[in-house]
Amino acid sequence: MPDDARSRILAATVACLGRYGIAKTTVDDAARAAGVARATVYRQFPDGKDQLISEAITWAVAQFFTELAHAVDDSPDFATLLERALAHAHRAVDEHEVLQKVLETEPERLLPQLTQSAPMMQLAIRGYFAEKLRGERLRPGVDPDRAADWLARMGLSFILAEGGWDLTDPAAVRRLVRDELLVAVLADPTVVDVTEVTK
Amino acid sequence: MPLDTTVSPVVLPEVEAAPDELTERILDGALTLVARWGVGKTALADVAKEAGCSRATVYRAFPGGKQHLFLALARRELATYLDAVLEAIDAGEDLADALTRGMVVATRLIRDHDATQFVLEHEPGLLLPFLGFKQVDVLYAHTEMVIGPHLERFLPAARAAWLSEWCARLFITYLFNPDPEVDLGVVDHARALLADFVLPSFAPTPAT
Repeated sequence: MPDDARSRILAATVACLGRYGIAKTTVDDAARAAGVARATVYRQFPDGKDQLISEAITWAVAQFFTELAHAVDDSPDFATLLERALAHAHRAVDEHEVLQKVLETEPERLLPQLTQSAPMMQLAIRGYFAEKLRGERLRPGVDPDRAADWLARMGLSFILAEGGWDLTDPAAVRRLVRDELLVAVLADPTVVDVTEVTK
Repeated sequence: MPLDTTVSPVVLPEVEAAPDELTERILDGALTLVARWGVGKTALADVAKEAGCSRATVYRAFPGGKQHLFLALARRELATYLDAVLEAIDAGEDLADALTRGMVVATRLIRDHDATQFVLEHEPGLLLPFLGFKQVDVLYAHTEMVIGPHLERFLPAARAAWLSEWCARLFITYLFNPDPEVDLGVVDHARALLADFVLPSFAPTPAT
């Protein structure tokens, strides 16, 4: 399956980035790590190293958000979903070894790549949020698509950096989501699921 | 030679060069060249020529060489930028007005700053590391410290600090991920965005 080979090469390339960095990873390294021939890599990524690395980073970002969505998708309501997403993503960024390694050693190469995938991430999150918001009671006059766009931007912003908020503290995440981010969007963001109060 | 990206221009160490007329001229020269062909291609000899002085003079003003000069330049440009944004905020009649003015001026000035635009487009690796992850936390902390106090005539200090951070987030997201329908350089757009999504959390609450 060609798609399978492609994913395997991309995953192997991400692993190489963690090991050797962006500048030093070669097409040969990626081929060896993926257990495929050099020619196979070039067949999938005809422009060579630059294309391979750029697509590997985009792929890793997409993986990150797929896993994130998977982790929070069963949330009972939007506010809970956003709380869980922020906490989970913050931890996942902290624990992402390849990301942390490259951030430390080659931020000047990584950040431009990530910035390029930002519009794609934002669109994906916006679509996901818009769908989730349809099941919610919105504040009068709020357009769900505009709200989803805004919340996708803020979500990404908080995944990139927590700023003055401690996203490892559930109470802080709760305040951020319910007392700040969702005040303008939901009719009553402070309503808390009864089962959670009793915990 | 790559610049040292571990030193954030957001919170620059004290650069000891006295801001005399000659220093300013050298920095002006460097700024012109960055707008023309970027930081990487600008050599100190070019800066000297642009400023109409000798290379030795440039080194006397900036003994640390290129790194020193560009940190001083970033620091100067950032200070000028912040002053203009703060002045806009201070002219606001109420909270919404102050934030709108600040946002519009911040957006327009960065758009008109040719050197920043050149670097963002052609040498993003020089600036972007300061705008993601741990480094942008430094920027947010700095924003809270610098802009926060200018909002304290409307809000308690802690709320003013958080609102400053929030506005910095808003500014950065639209800077890197523009929306054709939302132009923060346009007063009505900035006002509507803030009114719709940020200010409801800052509605005056009955005194307790």
